[in-house]
Amino acid sequence: MSKIEKALNRAREERGTLLVPVPNTGAARTPGTGTAMVAETGHPETIARMAVSESRLLSPGDLWQRGIIHHQHAGDPAVQVFRELRTKVVQQSQGRNGVILVTAVSQGSGTSFVAQNLGAAFAFDAGKTALVIDCNLKNPSMHRLLANASLPGLTDYLENPDFDIAHIIHPVGIARYRVIPAGRRGEVPAEHFTSVKMRRLVDSVRLRYRERFIILDGPPMSDIADIRILSELSDYVLIVARYGRATNTQIESCINAISDKKLLGIVFNDEPRIPRLH
Amino acid sequence: MQMFPEQMAKTLIVEAFQSRRLVVGMFVLVNAAMLVVGLLFPKGFSASTSILIDDRNIVQPLMQGAAVPTEVTDRGRNAREVIFGRKIMDQILEHGGWMANRPTAEQQERLIEDIRKRTTIVTIGRNIIKIEYRDDDAERVFRTTQKMAELFMQESIAAKAAESSAAFDFIDKQTQDYHDKLARTEEQLRELRSANLDARAGSEAEVTARMNDLQRRIESTSQELREAEIRGMALERQVTGEVEVNAAATREGQYRARIGELQSRLDTLRLSYHDTHPDIVQLKNQIQDLTEGIEAERGRREQTKRTGRLEADQSTLNNPIYQQLRRDLSQNQLNVEALKARIADSQQRLQQELSRGKLLHTGDARLAELTRDYQVNRDIYQDLLRRRESARVSMHLDRDRQGFTFKIQEPATLPLYPSGLRFWHFMVGGILLGLLIPVGLLYARLQIDPRIRLANSISSQHKVPIAAVVPHMWTPRQLKGLRIELAMLMLAVVATVALSAAVSVLRMTKVI
Repeated sequence: MSKIEKALNRAREERGTLLVPVPNTGAARTPGTGTAMVAETGHPETIARMAVSESRLLSPGDLWQRGIIHHQHAGDPAVQVFRELRTKVVQQSQGRNGVILVTAVSQGSGTSFVAQNLGAAFAFDAGKTALVIDCNLKNPSMHRLLANASLPGLTDYLENPDFDIAHIIHPVGIARYRVIPAGRRGEVPAEHFTSVKMRRLVDSVRLRYRERFIILDGPPMSDIADIRILSELSDYVLIVARYGRATNTQIESCINAISDKKLLGIVFNDEPRIPRLH
Repeated sequence: MQMFPEQMAKTLIVEAFQSRRLVVGMFVLVNAAMLVVGLLFPKGFSASTSILIDDRNIVQPLMQGAAVPTEVTDRGRNAREVIFGRKIMDQILEHGGWMANRPTAEQQERLIEDIRKRTTIVTIGRNIIKIEYRDDDAERVFRTTQKMAELFMQESIAAKAAESSAAFDFIDKQTQDYHDKLARTEEQLRELRSANLDARAGSEAEVTARMNDLQRRIESTSQELREAEIRGMALERQVTGEVEVNAAATREGQYRARIGELQSRLDTLRLSYHDTHPDIVQLKNQIQDLTEGIEAERGRREQTKRTGRLEADQSTLNNPIYQQLRRDLSQNQLNVEALKARIADSQQRLQQELSRGKLLHTGDARLAELTRDYQVNRDIYQDLLRRRESARVSMHLDRDRQGFTFKIQEPATLPLYPSGLRFWHFMVGGILLGLLIPVGLLYARLQIDPRIRLANSISSQHKVPIAAVVPHMWTPRQLKGLRIELAMLMLAVVATVALSAAVSVLRMTKVI
């Protein structure tokens, strides 16, 4: 955990669970904090606005129970890993926000887990926000984070011309963390992602808040058409390969499908770990 | 998947943790199986004895070449054949007390088969045979093993003695045969020799030499004869041509010489005396007589010529040359006769030699055949004699147990504890196998499963960076479940081991 984050956490604890706009002063303004701080310092008011709408935040225990990291569990290796991954992305983006597509070698590799937690890692940082869009329309999972699973989502927005973006972005009880669920499930043509509206959606959410990092929780590589389109829309691609599931052949074909420039690397997920039980 | 040992160890641990239920299940199953097998495994006693077969004792170098020790190529198999043979097995049945229940022939066969199965006969090194017998009765195990070794030794020694004795008998018989043959041939040879005295080695050469000699003698005698005949003819000619003339001339010459002599005396006397002197008159008469004598001689000679009769003439007989010639002639005649007789004799003898030579040829062929037979038989006979002596020594070696001895290297002992796999072996084996089998299976799965378990292998294989290696995130609920699960699994393991140990203890204290 960086010094900045420690300071932020301390500040947060001092203020209790009620989140108020982060003042433009204090520990967060420590000089020499690098690129991560640039975005934050530029848009403190947006974060403050988000904080207002987050009426009820989930406790670290609840999050942990749902498989989402929290900065309070900084000792857990998973937390460390996601923070490092976040730092890598931030370094790559060079001060700008970005769209990161998380896809998997095969079904069940844990794409959603990686996407959620990568988002959570971004949200650790008080100067950044995260938006996770569930693009796995066949096998959505983000709605599970929501209290009401039937809230409108991506497909609703894409299919209804009158839908406003604001209606599909939902808070999930994590500070600076928003989700666009997959939406109403039905006949899902792949052309959803090719539509102009999809591009507009991505562009608008990216441009609207420059400190916001957008994470596309994509389908597995077996949906190669969707993946190609989504990778067009995104800046970086992460491929999730699960321990004891992925084979070299599968990874090889995935790598070939993604442009080298965008490919950030492979996330080797769910490496078994014998926990300490005391 | 290629891994370094430490990676492999780590992965194996992790995999075992992942498949913990399977691992523990297998452990419990294997232990249970081993427990059952251990309980069912018959308790057995075994005794073994080893027999040293010494075929290189001190006698052998001494008897090198003279005696042939019986060679045994595969002692183990040999021993198996001997011991498992019906002869020994019947005695074992009797000795081991199996015959007490009077089993039928079929049951006996089965019993023998069982004993064979429980008996192990192995060859240790070159000269040691180890007989091991397993059974459930310690006392019987001991007795049976001991008896087996004893019977095997007896049987082997008897078989060997019988073998060398048979060899001796055979060679002895052969020797006798050849002796008879040799005697027969000798007899035939003797008969031939006595029937044909000339039939000796070299007779033919002698005959030829003699024949040549006779031939040469005939030739030289013929030559001499021819010379003698020529001389005879010459003498004849001399005798016929010159005898008469010489004889006549001689008498007339005598007369004339007498006349001349008397004439000269007359002439001398006439110088001194007149013709009337008595001496002169006497001389004249004498001359007259002589002249008449000449005339008479001449006339007689003419007459002789006419009649051809040779008259003995005093003057002729007295002719020395004639005498000489006559003597020579008759001598020559004698010589010719002698030579002729000699030639005839030689020719007769030549004929004899020729016929004898013919006889010799037929006798020689027979002689050669008999001699050859004799020599061959004699050689074989001598060889057999030598062999018979070797066989006799071999037989004595075996009889005195010098050639090939058996020694009990390690006698059978009464087994005090059950042998073979004991119950605790199964218990320990169960624990070990229960650990090793799952680990082995996991290892095998790691070896053949193409799915990736090492993040490093991805980066090395595909030249793509590993963005993150996310460890499994244990949620509190999962951890709770894991705790319960691990406790259960541990309980299962402990219960299994405890059960095995308990059964083992009960077994040791002979409760079960």
